[in-house]
Amino acid sequence: MPGPSTETPALTILQRPLASVGRVSRNVAEHAGQLGLLVARTARAFATLQVSPRSVLQQIYVIGVQSIPIVIVTAVLAGIVTSQQGGYQFQGAVPLYVLGSIVVASVVLELGPVLTAIVLVGRVGARITAELGTMKVSEQIDAFHALGRDPVAMLAAPRILAGVIAVPVLVAIANVVGVLAGMVAARLTLGLGFESFLYGARLFWHNWDLFYSLAKAVVFGFAIPVISIHMGLRTRGGAAGVGRTTTASVMFMTLTVLILDALFPPLLLQ
Amino acid sequence: MIQYHDIWKAFDTPVLQGVSFSVEEGEMFGVFGPSGTGKSVLLKTTIGLIDLDRGDVTVEGDSVYRGGKASLQRIRYRVGYVFQNAALFDSLDVYENVQMGLPEEELRVMKRLDVTRRVWDALELVNLEPDQVLRKLPSELSGGMRKRVGIARAIVGRPRILLWDEPTTGLDPVNTAAVERLIMRLSQELNVTSIIVTHDIQGGLEMCDRVAMLEGGHLRFIGEPDAFRESPDPVVRAFVDRAAAMAALDQVEV
Repeated sequence: MPGPSTETPALTILQRPLASVGRVSRNVAEHAGQLGLLVARTARAFATLQVSPRSVLQQIYVIGVQSIPIVIVTAVLAGIVTSQQGGYQFQGAVPLYVLGSIVVASVVLELGPVLTAIVLVGRVGARITAELGTMKVSEQIDAFHALGRDPVAMLAAPRILAGVIAVPVLVAIANVVGVLAGMVAARLTLGLGFESFLYGARLFWHNWDLFYSLAKAVVFGFAIPVISIHMGLRTRGGAAGVGRTTTASVMFMTLTVLILDALFPPLLLQ
Repeated sequence: MIQYHDIWKAFDTPVLQGVSFSVEEGEMFGVFGPSGTGKSVLLKTTIGLIDLDRGDVTVEGDSVYRGGKASLQRIRYRVGYVFQNAALFDSLDVYENVQMGLPEEELRVMKRLDVTRRVWDALELVNLEPDQVLRKLPSELSGGMRKRVGIARAIVGRPRILLWDEPTTGLDPVNTAAVERLIMRLSQELNVTSIIVTHDIQGGLEMCDRVAMLEGGHLRFIGEPDAFRESPDPVVRAFVDRAAAMAALDQVEV
């Protein structure tokens, strides 16, 4: 017969946080291991020419072409807001043409790549997780294995390559549209002419900034599909499981984009 | 011959605990058992869809878990797997779904006309009219038709072994009887070894040469259908009686 519990309250208080740390550490290690494995399998699928170019083109259409309208709307709004706020702060203190530099730098270095990535997390990342999650819970992923096909080569690799190709193009579009929107907004609301705006923009322009912007885009274009696929393939538990995993995936991707974004300045802007 | 050697698998709780048996070539073998006793898990181990804690499965001499990737690929091309809910690929039409059942290497060298013929023949074998369904998406098919397309995908590669995971689940009695007739006809016409996991005890006993019952992660019974019906084991008896009662209830509801 079991005796009374000898566990003291103090021990329980110590055990709980330790158990939480253990659980979180195990989860982080599990995610890291599975993500690494996914990337390695994807690389092997490319190396062994198992990836269909047709699937890659289809995914470029879904991830890239179909995202153009929402990326343009986001970039226009970002350009207008930057221009308006900059104008509000500079009026009467700094020559207004500096606004050109502020808008270009803000859009190219930060808003273009980050806002595009955040939009893609919602439009593309959530869709990939939900799609693969549904395939997982309805045994379609098992069916790939049963038919002797590699789901990584057929589902993951085309999406990852498409992300790496399409996102830099989307960011380039967002950069151009954002700057143009900021320029037009400055003209209409602050009376700053296009020539003055462009003069200010050229004053502090570095070609490196464009590389920096596109480097961010490539990294985000890789991270979003990799995380969304990884989360989709981990899905368990029917429709509710798909919902839970998609929410977790969106949080995971958003945080990853913001953390990666924070790592860029110390690495590439020194 | 398919051999299960000391299969152990646990998820949160133990599911399979040291299950061992073999299925002979050309045999139709049924697996019964209450829900959650690991019948589908056992079937999935036959082609390595689930990692095992311990044990191994050999299919015609090739090891599923110890033979490496090449061995597993050989086994998967030799086996047709019919999933419980068909598991058709949502984004592909019926033609593309069934075509996926052809081994990749074979598909690469086949002429398009030959592929179409194989897909066409497979659909006819499962009593579907190819010209009516070829370009339909799975979402445009009824449950019974989806199941048949799933069977067509499993047989198009001319497998030597067919694994059936609850082939009649979710079907009405008319479709259930039709699918059971189809299973028997295909097994004879294609001369394959079949393992059927089913909750439909009466249908399973009529179709199978031998049956097994899983209970609590262990093999509770293995033998011929008549011996199963007349088993003195109280657990088997209770299971058979409960299944008969459920079948009678189904009939009343219909």
